[in-house]
Amino acid sequence: MEAASAVAMKGIEKIYPDGTQALRGVDFFLEKGQIHGLLGENGAGKTTLAKILSGLLPLTAGEIHLNGRRVRFAGPWEALRKGIGMVHQHFALVRPLTAIQNILLGQEGGGPLSRLEVKDAEKQVTEIMKQSGLNVPLDVRVELLPIGVQQRVEILKLLYRRAAILILDEPTSALTPVEVDALFEMLRQFKREGKTVVFITHKLREVMDITDKITVLRQGKVAGVLSTAEATPEKLAELMVGMKSLPAETRSEKPFGKTVLSVDGLRVRNDIGGFAAKDLTFQVRSGEIFGIAGVEGNGQTELMQALAGVRKIDKGKVTIDGKDTAGLGPRELFKMGLAFVPEDRRRLGLVMDFSVAENSILGMEDERKYLGRLRQLLWGKIFEYTRRLIQRFGILTPSETTPAKYLSGGNQQKLVVGRELNKEPSILLVAQPTRGLDVAATHFIRDLLIKMRDEGKAILLVSADLDEVMQISDTIAVIYQGTFMRVAPARELDRRTIGLLMGGVMPT
Amino acid sequence: MTQQKRSRVREYLSGMARPLGETALAIAIGLVGGAVIMLIWKYDPLHAYIALFKGAFGGVDEIASTLSMATPLILTALTFLIGVKAGLFIIGAEGQVYLGTVGAVAASLFVLPPGVHLLVALLFSMVVGALWSLPVAILKVTRGVHEVISCIMMNWIAVWLTRYMVNYPLVDPARSEKTITVAPTSRFPILIPRTELTLAIAVSIVAAIVIYYFLWHTSLGYQFRAVGLNPEASRYAGINQLRIIILSLVMGGMTAGLAGATQVVGRPPTWALYGTLANIMNLGFNGLAVAMIGRTHPIGSIFAAIFFGGLYTGARQMQVPGPSPSLPYIEQLGEVVRGTAGAGVTIELIGAVQGVIVLAVAVPGALDMLRKYLRRRRGR
Repeated sequence: MEAASAVAMKGIEKIYPDGTQALRGVDFFLEKGQIHGLLGENGAGKTTLAKILSGLLPLTAGEIHLNGRRVRFAGPWEALRKGIGMVHQHFALVRPLTAIQNILLGQEGGGPLSRLEVKDAEKQVTEIMKQSGLNVPLDVRVELLPIGVQQRVEILKLLYRRAAILILDEPTSALTPVEVDALFEMLRQFKREGKTVVFITHKLREVMDITDKITVLRQGKVAGVLSTAEATPEKLAELMVGMKSLPAETRSEKPFGKTVLSVDGLRVRNDIGGFAAKDLTFQVRSGEIFGIAGVEGNGQTELMQALAGVRKIDKGKVTIDGKDTAGLGPRELFKMGLAFVPEDRRRLGLVMDFSVAENSILGMEDERKYLGRLRQLLWGKIFEYTRRLIQRFGILTPSETTPAKYLSGGNQQKLVVGRELNKEPSILLVAQPTRGLDVAATHFIRDLLIKMRDEGKAILLVSADLDEVMQISDTIAVIYQGTFMRVAPARELDRRTIGLLMGGVMPT
Repeated sequence: MTQQKRSRVREYLSGMARPLGETALAIAIGLVGGAVIMLIWKYDPLHAYIALFKGAFGGVDEIASTLSMATPLILTALTFLIGVKAGLFIIGAEGQVYLGTVGAVAASLFVLPPGVHLLVALLFSMVVGALWSLPVAILKVTRGVHEVISCIMMNWIAVWLTRYMVNYPLVDPARSEKTITVAPTSRFPILIPRTELTLAIAVSIVAAIVIYYFLWHTSLGYQFRAVGLNPEASRYAGINQLRIIILSLVMGGMTAGLAGATQVVGRPPTWALYGTLANIMNLGFNGLAVAMIGRTHPIGSIFAAIFFGGLYTGARQMQVPGPSPSLPYIEQLGEVVRGTAGAGVTIELIGAVQGVIVLAVAVPGALDMLRKYLRRRRGR
């Protein structure tokens, strides 16, 4: 098995400068002409391993052999010269440049002052497109292309550079089901051409669908290597999560209470003037988790921003406990009982250079209870409050004065969620609450939301993680291009139906 | 509780160790750099630095002179660092200093009792400084004009407006090269006779402490820092950013105006503003350097300004002719230490040495700012 390997990575260890050990002795063998799935939870070390293979990260210990010869990469350009290329989860495209300019970037040839010659390259790229079945409009600026097409530009970039081993990091995370099918067709074509593909994902059905062989990583170690033919989703899940079963879905047992958040005919514009949300109408009742499923970029972000008071409402009416919220900002909405966990905790939920204590009062810093007579901050009281917060939500931090940037992602999220829940809101908006978190933190956050629901809070959840929406929501709405394809009690919707609706297809 | 407090103090001190160490290293690098320059032009760096220290801190008069140099710099450093904390790059202190000076001189057009007159002069300078920052704030808030651009423009307008004020409305009828001398009732008391040091230094230090308290111990100061570090998260938390922009510019204008006032009502023997603006020139821009040397911390600015002031007062002693080279080296040093000899460095070269030292010492603070700025741009 080892002899036939195109790539053999042996005993790979990686310790990041901050001391995190991402990989603890991983062996990874890649056979030529296969699609190899690299499966694992968030934080299992998949991306780190891929980045080492593509020359982006130096390894701490271990060896890489390519076609039987030991190699060392000083950077991604060296890996690419040997035919290994990676498509990252977040694309490395220059948005205002056209597709062909992006493909040529760094390979323009000629001197610094010579004209960019695209004619020959265009011919070559067209040839590659014909062969591989990848179709991309070459003269269109990349920022105007849908995500799925941008991804194809990334792949074309690698093919143009003659990559024979393609590493795709979570390539389906932002794609619609239709786009996923197209991608898979492409990958099969690569295989027929004798190219090798590493397919990184945490989605079970995808590895079952497309791969020949699967390596499962768990907490920086190989949890198992098996051929897809002998794998079952249950077996993979067990290897991946290290648990017997996937968590059961939970539904509220009590009937819902009164309507807390009512949205009527809401229309919201996006940043470039189009409509992000068109005529949305729904209610969230106390004791209910209202989950919005959908591929990212279908208006969820703008909807949440509008409800949280940071984006203008174009048309429509929003009420909280029957009171109109028109024209109110985040601070007034907080006083009406609204709390908001934004989708990007690092950018929107926290001030990373602020301490845990400072972050724990963000948005409440002018509340009476923290202020003295001169409107000075009573740090003693704030520290006390922070310690209670730390305790109640199990936030792991050296102290309350540690800057938030030194906390792990899970603890940062606990801090944000804890702060918002401590506002004792009647309606809680939660966007992507478990993105990038490990299994334990994910469970913790979801359990917390369920507990809050059982205590009678109304929760509006937006998540790109379909499993999450299905697991904890009582009511599910599927959003597609700014409108709800369907709103129904969770038990009436199955995964297949939601998947189709997310892609804009009405199931028959 | 007490143990918690003690551990917090320890944490605070250990948090300060790194910036202090970095600054010490930067000072050492600056001194070595200056020494290399002096060696190239065949001056003795050891003589020069001893003379520099002697001239800056060698006696009561020298210390007084250094502190009086530091007085306005503390205030202009505050202008810049308030902006940095709120996420702005305010380089308008220069013009605000000019007009603050004019405001303080103009107060002498009134007759008021002593003490009250001083307060009125200070108030005038602060109000004028704040008003001069308003166009910058309004342009930024309404039209999105970058504060660097509007500050530069306002600085140039201030130069000519101030020259006009000095040469026409406020001119001294007897000596047309300067304004009227400010009324004795509006002057700061002199702390040490026959030196330039007045009670104005206390105003600067108190201002630094007030700004420190404001930034870290009030809810509004908290909002300044939140907006400065992460404007997006602040917006999501419902902090009114436009208000913070306006307030930070206005507060900066007030301290810069005050800096101008200290140069006329707080600095003998002139008690007036020259038509060339020579006695207030560059105070605003030097404040940037001082703020960076002080790691954009108000208390740090006090020490940085004294360092900066010392560098400039000490220059006098560096120019004094050096000891006779025929003496044994140890006796040469003795003469320099006693102050009977200096280092004989020409004034132009002293400028270069000062420049190298300031540049080196400002690097850690500048890097802090750059790192924060990049993080802001990346949105983290």
